Amino acid sequence: MSRVWSTPFGLLIRLLAGSILCLSTGLQAAPLDLTRAQVTLEVDGASSVRSVTLPYPWDRYHKGQEGRAVFLVDFDLATVPDGPWALYLPRVGTAYEIWLNGRMLEHRGDMAQFNGGDYGQVPRYLNVPVGYLAPHNRIEVRIRADVGRRGGLSRLVLGPMDEVYPLYLREYRLRSVGSMLVMGFSLVVGLVSLALWATQTRVTDWGAIQRDPLYLYAGLAELFWTVRVGHTQIEVPPLDWPWWGVLPVTALGAWGAFMTFFCLELAGVRRSSRLAGGFRRWLMLLMLLGPLVGVLALGLGRPLVLTVWYAALGLSFLAFGAWFIGHAVRTPSRMQRVVAAAVVINVVTGLRDLYVFRIEPAYPSNALMYYTSMLFGLTLGYVVLARFRAVSAQARELMQAMAARIAERERELNSSYQRLEALAREQERTNERARILRDMHDGVGSHISAAIRQLQSGRARQEDVLQTLRDSLDQLKLTIDAMHLPPGDVTALLANLRYRLEPRLQASDIALEWDVDLIDPVERLDAHAMRHLQFMVFEAISNVLQHADAHRLRVEAAQVGPGVRLGIIDNGRGFDVSAPPRKGLLSLRERAQAIGAQLRIESAPGRTLVEVFVPGT
Amino acid sequence: MESPFRVLIVEDDEPMREFFAASIERNPRLRLLAGVGSVTLARRWLDDPAHGVDVLLTDLGLPDGSGLDVIRHARQRHPACEALVISMFGDEDNVLASIEAGALGYIHKDATPDDIAQTILEMKAGASPISPMIARRVLAKYRSSLQDRGSVPEAPGATADPSPTPRGLLSAREQQVLELIARGFSYAEISRLTGVSVHTVQTHIKNLYGKLAVHSKSEAVFEATRMGLLPRF
Repeated sequence: MSRVWSTPFGLLIRLLAGSILCLSTGLQAAPLDLTRAQVTLEVDGASSVRSVTLPYPWDRYHKGQEGRAVFLVDFDLATVPDGPWALYLPRVGTAYEIWLNGRMLEHRGDMAQFNGGDYGQVPRYLNVPVGYLAPHNRIEVRIRADVGRRGGLSRLVLGPMDEVYPLYLREYRLRSVGSMLVMGFSLVVGLVSLALWATQTRVTDWGAIQRDPLYLYAGLAELFWTVRVGHTQIEVPPLDWPWWGVLPVTALGAWGAFMTFFCLELAGVRRSSRLAGGFRRWLMLLMLLGPLVGVLALGLGRPLVLTVWYAALGLSFLAFGAWFIGHAVRTPSRMQRVVAAAVVINVVTGLRDLYVFRIEPAYPSNALMYYTSMLFGLTLGYVVLARFRAVSAQARELMQAMAARIAERERELNSSYQRLEALAREQERTNERARILRDMHDGVGSHISAAIRQLQSGRARQEDVLQTLRDSLDQLKLTIDAMHLPPGDVTALLANLRYRLEPRLQASDIALEWDVDLIDPVERLDAHAMRHLQFMVFEAISNVLQHADAHRLRVEAAQVGPGVRLGIIDNGRGFDVSAPPRKGLLSLRERAQAIGAQLRIESAPGRTLVEVFVPGT
Repeated sequence: MESPFRVLIVEDDEPMREFFAASIERNPRLRLLAGVGSVTLARRWLDDPAHGVDVLLTDLGLPDGSGLDVIRHARQRHPACEALVISMFGDEDNVLASIEAGALGYIHKDATPDDIAQTILEMKAGASPISPMIARRVLAKYRSSLQDRGSVPEAPGATADPSPTPRGLLSAREQQVLELIARGFSYAEISRLTGVSVHTVQTHIKNLYGKLAVHSKSEAVFEATRMGLLPRF
């Protein structure tokens, strides 16, 4: 270790770390600060006595060795206090007994059994009952020190309870509560990251589920950090030595490696890049070597291996930190700058911790890195937030774009629908106009022009002209009725026709036989066809009334399947069916053809039949 | 001989009004009270307590309003007065609206003078003409009101239920008569087919008119909405 740190580079780090140390250590207590001690050491069966200045970091003076020690601290008091006093020991361990003037104040752990419980993790505070102190006093601290567990004895602080207790409390909070907080934070961040890794999936084009390794790395790093920090909080280890000591070493290596992977991932360094790949493999190797190094150093008494491993790890991170800072400076990404800042701060505090714990052990309270490592967790939070913000902004944009598109489509649909509807309405109007025009032409128009001709000729009887005009009005009424007829309802058509012709039928001598069934609406008869059919029946009945000279007129209507059969039968004089048809008959044929109906006419003196068959489909 | 029926004519076309007036004056059983040409004048005449009237003949399209208002007004002031509408075509919408306003029938503008007097006298004797189209519409209304009540119309003629029915509901006999009219049968034929007298058939028809009439403006709107007539009303 010392060889590494004696290089010029090491010197620089020492300076840097030293300055931070100056910043972090501060206040000295007003009460008695006891730093002079006589120690009786018992290492590897050999025993020695010497004077020392506290603190006495065991690992620094006895590298890779375990042992026992008895510290004797003598001091005088000008006046024996009459109030309650207290003794405060920032650090004492691994196991210990504390005596004052021959009276035991406290003991923790088994003094005989090495590598058992670790009681040196927290500061100790002991009440000194009134009467224990005298003008000449001796404090005796016996310790059992294990390898690499920061055993030994710190300075002792003795004074009135009111003054000593705040010092103890501050240290306790820093070490115990601080560690707990860091541990809790790391645990939460780690679990959240793993949860993110498990849930934030993306399905690739070829159907595989893809996860973001960023979260995995961050999660594993934080969990390992939880182990690393939490390790020191447990006084009675659940594992045997040296495994209990290997655990934090492994955790530290894994934390560093995964945190580096996290940063690489964040920096967007392609995994295929040769340099990055090599670096990755190197860190992997270091991480996997961690347990081995731990066993060698703590179990087999080869502490140098651990130091070298630490140094390799430190140098790797230093190199990476330098590279990452350069990278972050070159890329204008705020996220990378944030991460770079976290890296810088962690590297600096890491060096400071290295200095404090490994080079100049002075029993400081906690590794500063406990706290600065939280920056990575915060960085991850920042990353997640930034991503969430980006994604939600994207989603918002997408929604807006979609809403705009939907509105646009709606407008298009609406306008095309309106165009279609306008077209349909126009078509309907055109059809209706054509129908009414035809109606007027064939019905009212022809009758009125006939009346005009009759009057012009000067020979027509008034009765005839009246009849023509009545016909004309009847036609008009029928046209209007046809508008109200339900499409296909032949029964209604016939009933209505009869109702309109009733005055004429009554005026004639003809007896009407009405045999009209209730007929289902015929599908294929639309308004237009209904009007044709109405014309046909009207024409047939008018013929009988005007020309047949009949006494009986029979109107039949019956359902034939889905169609209908109409019959108009009279007992008049009949006519020659084979003769060239008159205008009325001709129009009957044309209309029948127009609506797809079959027309059959039979005539003999005494019986003339006009039959119309309208098929249903 | 009983006293002649007193007739009021509301018609804005003067030749037409004179033609109707002449047709009425020719018949000794009818007496023309007045002929007016607007809703305002008709109302003023009807409001005069000195006037009593048995028959109202009114055109629908009047210069200052609708003949339907005149009919309603007349029914309020003179409950015994029976109204006939003067119609050019006797078309479905106008006739139906008239019936709902309280008219008991209509007279065509091209009717002969004898027809006019005859129609009025028949109405006073209890007969009301009904066209197949109107019959069809009444049936449709009846069926829709049955659907409103959640029941199914019974087969025509299955039971002859003589018991009085609530307003708007048809008896089985009335329904049968309506269906036959809708198929074009005359009263005489219906009388033969159903085995009741022509007079009974006419009574049925007149009852139908009463059921169709609505008794207030809001009721008219309600009825029209229910029958799907409102857009054309």
